[in-house]
Amino acid sequence: MNALDYAVLVFTMVGIAAYGMWRTRGRRDLSGYLKGAGEARWLAIGLSVMATQASAITFLSTPGQGYESGLGFVQNYFGAPLALIIVAAVFLPIYRRLRVYTAYEYLGHRFDGKTRLLGAGLFLVQRGLGAGITIYAPAIVLSTVMGWRLDATIVCSGLLVIAYTVAGGSDAVTLTQKYQIGVIFAGMLAAFFVLLSRLPAALTFSDTLALAGGYGKLEAVDFSLNVDRRYTIWSGLLGGMFLALSYFGTDQSQVQRYLGAASLRESRLGLMFNAVFKVPMQFFILLLGVLIFVFYRFELPPVYFNQAAWADQAAHGAGGQLRALGSEFAAAHDEERGHLAAWIDARRSGNRAAEAAARAAASAAHAREVSARERTLGIMGAADRRAANDSDYVFITFILKYLPHGLIGLLVTAFFAAALSSKAAELNALGSTTTIDIYRHLVRRDAADRHYVVASRLFTAFWGLVAIGFALFAHLAENLIQAVNILGSIFYGVVLGLFLVAFFLKGIGGTAVFWAAIAAQALVFILYFSLGISYLWYNVIGCAACVALSALLQAARGFPDAGGGAPALA
Amino acid sequence: MKAAPDDASTGLPGLRTWPRVYVVVACTLAAWIGLLALLTRAFP
Repeated sequence: MNALDYAVLVFTMVGIAAYGMWRTRGRRDLSGYLKGAGEARWLAIGLSVMATQASAITFLSTPGQGYESGLGFVQNYFGAPLALIIVAAVFLPIYRRLRVYTAYEYLGHRFDGKTRLLGAGLFLVQRGLGAGITIYAPAIVLSTVMGWRLDATIVCSGLLVIAYTVAGGSDAVTLTQKYQIGVIFAGMLAAFFVLLSRLPAALTFSDTLALAGGYGKLEAVDFSLNVDRRYTIWSGLLGGMFLALSYFGTDQSQVQRYLGAASLRESRLGLMFNAVFKVPMQFFILLLGVLIFVFYRFELPPVYFNQAAWADQAAHGAGGQLRALGSEFAAAHDEERGHLAAWIDARRSGNRAAEAAARAAASAAHAREVSARERTLGIMGAADRRAANDSDYVFITFILKYLPHGLIGLLVTAFFAAALSSKAAELNALGSTTTIDIYRHLVRRDAADRHYVVASRLFTAFWGLVAIGFALFAHLAENLIQAVNILGSIFYGVVLGLFLVAFFLKGIGGTAVFWAAIAAQALVFILYFSLGISYLWYNVIGCAACVALSALLQAARGFPDAGGGAPALA
Repeated sequence: MKAAPDDASTGLPGLRTWPRVYVVVACTLAAWIGLLALLTRAFP
């Protein structure tokens, strides 16, 4: 990065944060601070919901997924539009009618205080841990590109987001997200066009797709019924729908976004905006990774993308072995590249036999490359577990090497903007839930609005510091985006079960659903550590177990609190 | 539950009721899945 890149980064990030703080200065009433002024239109809500979900992990790690595994990950999002329709049609009208600050307040209305606390507690645990992971992602980028210390990067980015979220509350989050997502889209589009321009001039877009398909990178839809496969259309539609239903319908970081709209209509349209654009957006980001893969068939990629970690290991002990693997990798890549022209020519001339032969030869050479890379990953992973997450470095490595200055700054700013936008919504939600569902519910019930605003600011800052702490000591499994989804899937199913019982099963009371949720969460933990199934299925299992056990307990014990409180569906 | 007049109307030309909006959104998803399945088959 040069001075221009730093200028783009600092001016944009600090400018957006300062503007958000200035525009929302002086928020004193609780509703204004936690839900905003209630003037947001559908596009602001839609972009805010999108920015909350799409963290830096989405933009940093997903192209790496596309590079390594192709488009299959897009299936993870197939259930999201269906879930958003259910949230818009069922959940949203009830939240707005009851004028709740948090989703868990509704559980208190419908069941009782302990069930409300359980829902809020599961959210706080899950989102508090997830917040640590999301702050870790931009820190990796920034520490890599600037040569900063990782811990200093985590602390600086964490403190910036704490500052404007604490100062401006919900409106500051929505306002800054609008500009941050503009920066993100501009950056990703710029990367896409630069990438296209960097592909060999003779290669048409159809040739590019043919090469990607030939290496198995365009397998976007898998109809297999095998539950051990991580991404299939069925796990995406069913498991993904449960995950998204829980996330969009019951996770306060999302509920708070759409409850800030001017009306039910604006909230609904904001959600439908996401329902329409979520799948194409994820496809586009994965496609970037696939195109980078094709680009690197013609240019030698590093055997290990995190070059700083590789150089460090090469200087300590395993250097000879790593360099030998690098040479083996480069030789295989050279041979592979030699077969690509024949492959394309045969394809264009319609010579199937020659095409198959050239493709087989290129694939064989590529397999040797993959083997050398995997052995490198093994050595690096054995030395430092975090070093095994090399796919997270694919996109940033491409950006730093092949994008012009100015655009490098824009892309780094985009990652930073994505991190801050989702982090701000998380902190806002964690602070609100702690204030409304824990502090106001258990500690101090009848204080003035101003007191709760101060409490909310303090809790928001507290959770920001907790997130920084987790990020500093995070030891991440697999890559970042999967770690976040796995963590969510362990808790989300049970939380969704609580809400589905609340909305649809009027005869079940708080005591039955409370113990059912505890048993279901224990079951999910046991299954997670004993089965090897796709993590998306834990959303379905946790939810189904919670609903079924609630019904069984209510029928078996006949708890007297059934049907009490407010309202399921009218 | 009765929606306010402002909420009952979608404000979208040609899609005046919410069920219609939901059907169009679901069809858009089906179209996306179809296109992606086509892409998978077109470049095996």
